[in-house]
Amino acid sequence: MLSTINQRIGLILFIIAAIYLFLSFQLPNYPYAPIDADVIPKGLGVLMLVLSAALFFSRVIETEAEKEKRNIPKKELLVLLAVFAMIFFYILLFELIGFIIMTTVFIFFSSWFLGYTKWKTNIIVSILFPLGMYAIFVFALGISLPRGILPI
Amino acid sequence: MNAFDGMITGFQVALSWEGILFVLIGVIVGTLIGMMPGLGPISAIAIMIPITYGMDPAPALVMMAGVYYGAVFGGSTSSILLNAPGISGTVATAFDGYPMAQQGKAGKALAIAAIASFFGGTVSVIMLMLLAPALSSVAISFGPPAYFALMLMGLTAISSLSEGSTIKAMISAVAGVMVVTIGIDPQTGTQRFTFGNVNLFDGFDFLIIALGLFAIAEVCMLVLNRKNRSLSDDQKLGSLKVTRADLKEMSGPMTRQSFVGFILGVLPGAGATIASFISYIFEKRISKNPEEFGKGSIKGLAAPESSNNAATSGAFVPLLSLGIPGSGTTAVMLGAFLVLGVQPGPLLMTDRPEIFWGIIASMYLGNIFLLVLNLPLIPYLAKILSIPRPLLISLVIMFSLIGVYSISFNVFDLYMLLVFGALGFAMRVFSFPAPPFILAFILGGMMEQAFRQSMTISNGNLAIFVNSPLPLSLILIAFLSLVIPGLLKWRGRRRLAKM
Repeated sequence: MLSTINQRIGLILFIIAAIYLFLSFQLPNYPYAPIDADVIPKGLGVLMLVLSAALFFSRVIETEAEKEKRNIPKKELLVLLAVFAMIFFYILLFELIGFIIMTTVFIFFSSWFLGYTKWKTNIIVSILFPLGMYAIFVFALGISLPRGILPI
Repeated sequence: MNAFDGMITGFQVALSWEGILFVLIGVIVGTLIGMMPGLGPISAIAIMIPITYGMDPAPALVMMAGVYYGAVFGGSTSSILLNAPGISGTVATAFDGYPMAQQGKAGKALAIAAIASFFGGTVSVIMLMLLAPALSSVAISFGPPAYFALMLMGLTAISSLSEGSTIKAMISAVAGVMVVTIGIDPQTGTQRFTFGNVNLFDGFDFLIIALGLFAIAEVCMLVLNRKNRSLSDDQKLGSLKVTRADLKEMSGPMTRQSFVGFILGVLPGAGATIASFISYIFEKRISKNPEEFGKGSIKGLAAPESSNNAATSGAFVPLLSLGIPGSGTTAVMLGAFLVLGVQPGPLLMTDRPEIFWGIIASMYLGNIFLLVLNLPLIPYLAKILSIPRPLLISLVIMFSLIGVYSISFNVFDLYMLLVFGALGFAMRVFSFPAPPFILAFILGGMMEQAFRQSMTISNGNLAIFVNSPLPLSLILIAFLSLVIPGLLKWRGRRRLAKM
């Protein structure tokens, strides 16, 4: 049944559209507005249902190039997941610990993790970049970045 | 104000020290980011937006425009040197640019690309200067139904012209509008799809979407391709010299394709990428020796390069005079305008002449800067291509995070950046084009407003969209732009089946 990738994606989108449409029908109505807040969402939900069904039933065959794009080795996917995890921890901690320290740590480790071996250059960049950005944002643009545990 | 007075106002902005400085910064940053394989003009503009907070709108927008056409200019460098286009608008540049580089004529190829880009950009600015004011004065009488129809046409055009499946492009566009509906409805105050989460009341800032769907998603692709070669130190560029014979050879394609590029840039949905391909094919068709194309032909290099730069300035016509972007990139440009409190549209020319004309005038200057910078400095600028990928990836991630944080100081938005980054990556992997999404996201709110205004005018009668000729014809075009490509494919398939 779900033989092609487009059918699988079509089904997922159909479910999302159905949930969206269901939520649109929960939106409150006001008697005197000619077009209420729920009209456009309902229309969009129906449109998405139709389009996802069209994707499901379309007989367009995936091209070789498209197949190639989907073909990502498991190991690379894990690398990507690790990068996302690093970003996640950065976001989690940077207000607490501070922009400069967290950014230094992030740039150094993610560059090293992704295979950058010149550790001297890496250290220099990962220290100078946050300092430079901090100076530009805080002193030149007046946008404050979290100081964290550092005194400045 | 006529065009002449307007240009005087414009040059007063562009030639002030601030104007010159920010054009220069814009084109340099644009060139550098555009050169990086994988990072396109949308990422370049989105990354630079936080820098403009608190700046005067005129110099800030002059800079942002510079980032945009600078990125298109710079994209050719990596196409030629690495066969890895910096942006999608310079894919066609690699067809003949890379073979030239392999023949040891990289310097010459870069110089030809720079001259063709300069020519296309400049011709296009002249046409922009003439067309944008005219369109502004017509558009001032457009009512909400015409605006709604125009935006609808923009969305269907970008969907039908996107690479790959039209259904997928339409899904991408509809999803973009669906994301806009999250938040408090500005007209009735109804909360939509917020689930009571305070962070969602204002909806998503467009910068989260732009940086997530483009910068972060592009970073993901870079992570996968991180072992691809970057520029090696010993690569010789060769002489930058362009002979008189070369100039003569490229003059024909350059002139023709500047016009083609401009027109395709003005039309919704097309833009630099499609313009460059069409120009390449155009020149190959009319050439006496088409077999030279793809083997390092000067014509084959000059055609897409003048065309994509012409399309870039052309795209400013609908943006400045209608306030409606026709492509993903100009959608993000519109976002940059709105961040600075400037609403482009038919009133911009009269209300904020210094911005309207300042941007146009600055483009003349920017193109000259790009030529002067690129011709002698290309060997040095190209060094940026030797930045190691892992370092580049880490820095782009940081730029994106800082950019989003500095709009709201809200950590929730950073998590959303990550979510949209993952979505953008998934869209790339499963061949859903991202530009329709960002265009729909930017247009979605405006479309809903125009739709409801129209309905209020007509007391809820949908006939308002077909009763007057302008909205009717626009809606017809919108409909046909979706149906015709499908019909052509269907006919083609039937013919194949008969054979």
